[in-house]
Amino acid sequence: MLLRGSWRRLAQPSAPRPWHRRAGSEAGAAAAPRYEVVVIGGGHAGAEAAAAAARGGARTLLLTHKIGTIGEMSCNPSFGGIGKGHLMREVDALDGLCGRVCDRSGVHYKVLNRCKGPAVWGLRAQIDRGLYKEHMQKEILNTPLLTVHEASVEDLLLTEPEPDRPGKCQVTGVVLGDGSTVHAGSVILTTGTFLRGMILIGLETYPAGRLGDQPAIGLAQTLEKLGFAVGRLKTGTPPRLAKDTIDFSGLQERAADNPPVPFSFLSEAVWIKPEDQLLCYLTRTTLKAQEIICDNLHLNNHVRETTRGPRYCPSLESKVLRFPNREHQVWLEPEGLESNVIYPQGVSMTLPAELQEQVIRSIPGLEKAKILQPGYGVQYDFLDPRQLTASLESRLVQRLFFAGQINGTTGYEEAAAQGVIAGINACLRVRGKPPFIVSRTEGYIGVLIDDLTTLGTSEPYRMFTSRVEFRMSLRPDNADARLTHRGFEEAGCVSQQRYEEAVKMRAALEDGIATLKSLQFSISKWSQLVPEVPISSSRRLPLSAFDVLRYPEANMELLARVVPEPLGKLAQWRQLAERLKIEAAYEWCVENQQQEIEEVRRDEALRLPEDLDYFAIDASLSLEVREKLDSNRPQTIGALSRIPGITPAAIVNLLRFVKTNHQKAENLSSEQCGDRLMCWGPGQS
Amino acid sequence: MALRRALNVAGRRCAQRLCSAAWGDTIFAVSSGHGRCGVAVIRTSGPGSRGALQSLTGRPALPPPRVLALRRIRDPATGEPLDRGLVVWFQELQLSWLLGGFSLEFPCEVKACHGTGGDGVHQTPPRQRPGSAGPQSFTGEDCAELHVHGGPAVVSGVLRALGALPGLRPAEPGEFTRRAFRRGKLDLTAAEGLGDLIRAETEAQRRQALRQMEGELGRLYQHWSDALTQALAHLEAYIDFSEDDNVEEEVLSQVDATVRALEREIGSHLQDGRRGELLRGGVRAVIAGPPNVGKSSLLNLLCQRPAAIVSPVAGTTRDVVEVALNVGGYPLVLSDTAGLRDATDPVEKEGVSRARDRLQEADLVLAVLDATAVPTEPVGLGAALGSLQPPPTTPCIMVLNKADLLKGKGGSLRAACTQGHPLPPVTLLSCKTGEGLDHLLALLARELARLCGDPLSGSPSLTQSRHSLHLRQCAVALARYGRERRSDLGLAAERLRLARRHLGSITGHVSTEDILDIIFRDFCVGK
Repeated sequence: MLLRGSWRRLAQPSAPRPWHRRAGSEAGAAAAPRYEVVVIGGGHAGAEAAAAAARGGARTLLLTHKIGTIGEMSCNPSFGGIGKGHLMREVDALDGLCGRVCDRSGVHYKVLNRCKGPAVWGLRAQIDRGLYKEHMQKEILNTPLLTVHEASVEDLLLTEPEPDRPGKCQVTGVVLGDGSTVHAGSVILTTGTFLRGMILIGLETYPAGRLGDQPAIGLAQTLEKLGFAVGRLKTGTPPRLAKDTIDFSGLQERAADNPPVPFSFLSEAVWIKPEDQLLCYLTRTTLKAQEIICDNLHLNNHVRETTRGPRYCPSLESKVLRFPNREHQVWLEPEGLESNVIYPQGVSMTLPAELQEQVIRSIPGLEKAKILQPGYGVQYDFLDPRQLTASLESRLVQRLFFAGQINGTTGYEEAAAQGVIAGINACLRVRGKPPFIVSRTEGYIGVLIDDLTTLGTSEPYRMFTSRVEFRMSLRPDNADARLTHRGFEEAGCVSQQRYEEAVKMRAALEDGIATLKSLQFSISKWSQLVPEVPISSSRRLPLSAFDVLRYPEANMELLARVVPEPLGKLAQWRQLAERLKIEAAYEWCVENQQQEIEEVRRDEALRLPEDLDYFAIDASLSLEVREKLDSNRPQTIGALSRIPGITPAAIVNLLRFVKTNHQKAENLSSEQCGDRLMCWGPGQS
Repeated sequence: MALRRALNVAGRRCAQRLCSAAWGDTIFAVSSGHGRCGVAVIRTSGPGSRGALQSLTGRPALPPPRVLALRRIRDPATGEPLDRGLVVWFQELQLSWLLGGFSLEFPCEVKACHGTGGDGVHQTPPRQRPGSAGPQSFTGEDCAELHVHGGPAVVSGVLRALGALPGLRPAEPGEFTRRAFRRGKLDLTAAEGLGDLIRAETEAQRRQALRQMEGELGRLYQHWSDALTQALAHLEAYIDFSEDDNVEEEVLSQVDATVRALEREIGSHLQDGRRGELLRGGVRAVIAGPPNVGKSSLLNLLCQRPAAIVSPVAGTTRDVVEVALNVGGYPLVLSDTAGLRDATDPVEKEGVSRARDRLQEADLVLAVLDATAVPTEPVGLGAALGSLQPPPTTPCIMVLNKADLLKGKGGSLRAACTQGHPLPPVTLLSCKTGEGLDHLLALLARELARLCGDPLSGSPSLTQSRHSLHLRQCAVALARYGRERRSDLGLAAERLRLARRHLGSITGHVSTEDILDIIFRDFCVGK
């Protein structure tokens, strides 16, 4: 089924001025509490957003149905992974919470892709659900300026828009379930799958957000009336198994790393002793499972329906259908130190419960396994993220920000990353400061948000390293160098302590590289000193220690052993030594990419007026291109160039049009604040 | 109610589209060449084509698209008849299409993912969108053609009438092709091929250009680009998913094999001795030799006119004289140069230095020697040739001129020519009598055929240095992949990305989404 088929434009507002519907809200305005930022939803996006806004100095209110569910890991019991680990490092570099909390709650830490190069290392950990929740709640409840309140949100308070920005109205607060109101400078919506959420098991369906949570109705209706475009997505979760009913004896073990690598730049080590970490086990499905699934497709609504699900996290049913007659991997993952629950990664399914049991029991090691909770599918609406700017503010409703699964992403890490950016920008918006935008050239966060807001998504969006053009430069090891300084200086969301650490590390790296580059010997001398490094160079010139360090066989320890002065002290600082090694190995590549990065940044500095009428402008553009531009509304020439189907010629034509109409464009978007004008200066970064 | 609202929206959109026909200007030009001729074809392209045809034929009703009709053509300003000729027009898109084409759904981009299937769901191919189907015209826009009588007064009258219509302007050189490229009717290599076809002067050039315009070169590069994209996608899948999923190690060895094969293919494509480029631009042949051996006479003989001044005085030719020739269907750019000697006169000195520069850049050397002054055995002949210092790898034809003056020496020299094993091809010639010219032409044609290759056999040739530059960089990146693949897969993948980017700059870009599509098509991945 086509994406388009599952899209629809929600109805246009029937009342001409929807913000006057609630007479009571204005009467109670005087007494209503006022916050600078109000965050709706206490999931991974909401928690990060609220904490980031508060770190930035905004008086923040976090509204959630239940404080007890803050920090709940509703799906898999793990954090990080390939691409996702990068996001966590970047969230941490902006002083976000999930990295540090994971360093205090993990039970099995493992860096994936160890042998494929540090640019694609995937920091990952199995997390104890209970511990994570506990630590996350402690963080949230102890964040200065952050108030947490249990309430459902029924509606938004809306008023006339600020005249010089796009948007049909602006949000000024929220209406709670009890009818009371809260005023807000900005509002962040992080309500996950609440929009028309539907749970499916077999042929049964229940309306719900997540199992046991009540779906929000009033708010959904308001968004609908405002005319937001929505799409529908689906996802699923596997059945949970009782650990004591599984026979692990014949299964392949996967041990955790020793020593574990922490997520946070601030953590020296993780909380758990390396030897106390739990094991994961690997088993595989058999053809028996395929048989059961294929025989019972008629009992499986979720799979037969046409909504788009993730291609990379498919249900067992779709794996079997698309790749028949194969074994499929099943990872048995612990849910916690004390927990008796095992999460079978890779077998999410929506068969009727009794059939799920048959499938599970056809898998080696699980012959006697007891299902604690059956797997189920979720279908939900999400808001087309192309209605957002790169700061995650809605173009339809001013001061209203969206973050997390509601924007069509999947995964805790993707949600957390958007949460931090929405939190920072909601805070900056209240202050009247320019938005904090992470460019594609600066971080995975930038790629994530640019992809979403420029291209939208047709399936739950997950981060991969292959989405990132500048993968060699945007590594987990250097996220602090990329983002912490900006986070401190521009967003004010980074603590003094973290900033100082980052400054110290940056200085040490620069010194270290300079020292290594200045230490030069002839090739024969190096070959003598470090015979294990196969130096091959046709150059007659002397080679620096930095050049030698780039060989896979070389590391700082080795170099420090042969040239203790001045390299000894560099090698002692373990993190520094590791980062120097990576810098050396990737130097050529990063240099090569620099020119391209500059090009992208230049393109991103060329901003397009927000209110350009692509159907009316007098530039040589095809109808098809005009339609794409109109629906995607790229903010910069850079974003424009990434829209599929936009030809280089169209870009040139539009550039020419915008350049010749520069003066006109300025008048069109008159007296807007500087960042929204067409400006042809250097990039924002 | 909802339906009416929807229809309103649809109506507005439709109106926008109809109005949008006003964007862009309409261009016109004579497409059939200039000068007096039987029939001249005047072409217009752009949204105003329809109106222009209506105005000039004086009838609101147009013939059906793509059908020729005989019409009286008048100047719409004065009503004066200009000619009676055939008119035809090519319509951009059908009105019914336009009305049926709007959608009430959110207009969002359908990514290139047909056939990959969602979560166990089969997809139907995306519905064609207006504009992407394009009209069946050369430029992809509305086009009209007027086939009128080729008299200059008729043609200028029609052009003036067209120019007076609002929104119409004369086309710039190459603008029709540019519009076709912009509308996606041609890829870059095909557009280049079209340019070559129009400029082709010899049969072999025409064959090569036609092949390229029909997309053969583009297809070859596209084929490589596809292979590379697939290899990269598999490598990316291995990077992003192998730890947790069923992406096996064999994938890597397949990627290695693909990269090695590509490297070989691109290498041999590059090793074609620039034959495509030579054929396209002409083989640069340089006539070189000592002074007063008849180099300029040879040039004049070959081009059948006195292009260069000849005199019995040594050192007559100072500057380089160039003529373009068609030899056996192959293009030849022949340069006559100053006689090579240690000159003292500053002007002649400069001429000799220019001659030596030309010699270094030559694709083919015609070494002219005085038949009466050379040794009659192969070794001595070789030494005489060597004294001219031709570039060692450049092919060469030795021309021993003044054969009419040979007398008794002729027999042994002829023998030396035929058995001259260590020598390049040698021929005896008399520029004065024309004796030996046929043999020289045959030799030339053979060398040219060798240099340019047969444009119809084998894989299409590399025709532009732009292509070879990118291909060379692509090959370098592929070679480095092999070296980095063991130590750091991230770096190795970067090499493949770079290689793909170079291929992409020849044919058009490939996006990240293409890679993801292949990953999800070929692998059963899930975290």
